[in-house]
Amino acid sequence: MAAALRGRAGALAFFAVAAAVPLAVRDQFFLDTLILILLWGALSAAWNVAGGYAGQVSLGHSAFFGIGAYSAALLSARYGQSPWIGMLIGMVLSVGAGLIIGYLSNRLRGPYFALSTIAFSQVLLIVASRWRGFTAGSEGIPVPFRPGFATLGLGHVAWAYLALGLAILFYGIQVYLERSRVGYQLAGVREDEDAAEALGIPSRRLKVVAVTASAALTSVCGTLWAQYVGFVDPFYVFSVDLSIRFALNTIIGGMGTALGPWLGSILITALETYLRATFAGMKTGFAGIYLVIYGVALILVVRFVPEGLAGVGARLRARWTRAHA
Amino acid sequence: MLTLERVSKRFGGLTAVHEVSLEVRAGDLLGIIGPNGAGKTTLFNVIAGYYRPDGGRVLLDGRDVAGQPPHAICRLGLTRTFQIVKPFGNLSVNDNVMIGALNRLRSVRAARVEAERVIETCGLTAQAGAPAKTLPVGLRKRLEVARALATRPRLLLLDEVMAGLNPAELGGIIELIRRLHADGLTLIVIEHIMAAMMRLAQRIVVLHHGETIAEGTPAEITRDRRVVDAYLGEEFVLAQA
Repeated sequence: MAAALRGRAGALAFFAVAAAVPLAVRDQFFLDTLILILLWGALSAAWNVAGGYAGQVSLGHSAFFGIGAYSAALLSARYGQSPWIGMLIGMVLSVGAGLIIGYLSNRLRGPYFALSTIAFSQVLLIVASRWRGFTAGSEGIPVPFRPGFATLGLGHVAWAYLALGLAILFYGIQVYLERSRVGYQLAGVREDEDAAEALGIPSRRLKVVAVTASAALTSVCGTLWAQYVGFVDPFYVFSVDLSIRFALNTIIGGMGTALGPWLGSILITALETYLRATFAGMKTGFAGIYLVIYGVALILVVRFVPEGLAGVGARLRARWTRAHA
Repeated sequence: MLTLERVSKRFGGLTAVHEVSLEVRAGDLLGIIGPNGAGKTTLFNVIAGYYRPDGGRVLLDGRDVAGQPPHAICRLGLTRTFQIVKPFGNLSVNDNVMIGALNRLRSVRAARVEAERVIETCGLTAQAGAPAKTLPVGLRKRLEVARALATRPRLLLLDEVMAGLNPAELGGIIELIRRLHADGLTLIVIEHIMAAMMRLAQRIVVLHHGETIAEGTPAEITRDRRVVDAYLGEEFVLAQA
């Protein structure tokens, strides 16, 4: 048990604090920030499964987010079904879409793969914004609020714990990818596909599995986000901005690390929320300020901690161990 | 164990390997030599499943494996190293070899134990914890062999594992190959260093422009007129005499 927890102190502390906050704080704004940090972190963790652990950097993951969001929203708004069923259907659709993207990852490498994923998400955007009869087009869909767990009509405290449960689950999935047989084999594929093949690793199949799993997890978050926010706008849920956000949180926090996605999410989400609140009254001129933050954060991280914020922890730990050896 | 029947591989108009046939029996240590561009590495790529041959058959234990992916062929007990080494650079030597051991083992713990043993055999114990990218070239070549060995092959293809090594490193890796062979491993070795080949191989196949121009014991090869003309040169024969 002690060995299993070594190097996990940071994660333990983070989840403990996240669990304690809703007990002590009832301020809605603060709880909203916490929920978003956990949710954006989980989304980035889902992205990390493909981008970090399998090395398949996608810039079109908003496709799966949008599929999850629309599945639940449409089912709930049009047919009065539970969003949990919508979540399931979203996952199934995302697995299908993930298989397509996974297939592409075996045909295209690096930037070509990334570009094809962007194209994929933009095709879905066009479908969602033009198919007025079904999706209500560019007007978007308001998600009906029906109180209760089955309909995901929850208060802020309940949402915080739901998001926390999701975060812990996704964290666990990533830890599995660091320690299991398939995880090590995936690391081999990420490092060198040809060498991995020579060692008996079915690299193509593993990549498809990783991308598909990543798609399904992203879709789950998409559903929850739509239920939490209460509105699905095609130009937001299928946007390239969103895809970049998943990637950026992870790159800033630490690609291929289990806690990294949330570290990046803390920085980006907290900054964005703070700035939005600060500049709320003076819309003009500051609407795009979050893009500047993304840029500055990315430059600073790449310059000073290229391995991400999670790498800072590892460095400090190594220094501490040396000093006390 | 391995039989090639008139195997050919073409790239556009260039025939890299032309109707090469050869036979490897269990316990053999076969050498393949030839000038640069003779098709040696291409032949390895065909045998190990990286290229689909344009003609001929590749029989492993009597079964045609041409067109099967490399990982499936590795499962059948045949694997290879790469001339331009391909370490998993950001992973430790331990993890590199352990990933090889996962070919036969389901549990990570058992694979760790196996990796430790193979690392010791290959003389990499001192570097076990280091990231693979920090190793000097001589040790990277050893890592390449260690990782392939960890998959527990019956037939191992070594592609120029001696190139670029200093004399001390060279002696060490020749010793390692001999020991593996003595322990029952079947090997095909591509090498440019003729002196090493003379000491190691039981039989040598000489490729030139994608074709087999000679096959025989090391002594026979050095006397073969076409081999001397195509590859070894007169000086070599004089030096041998």
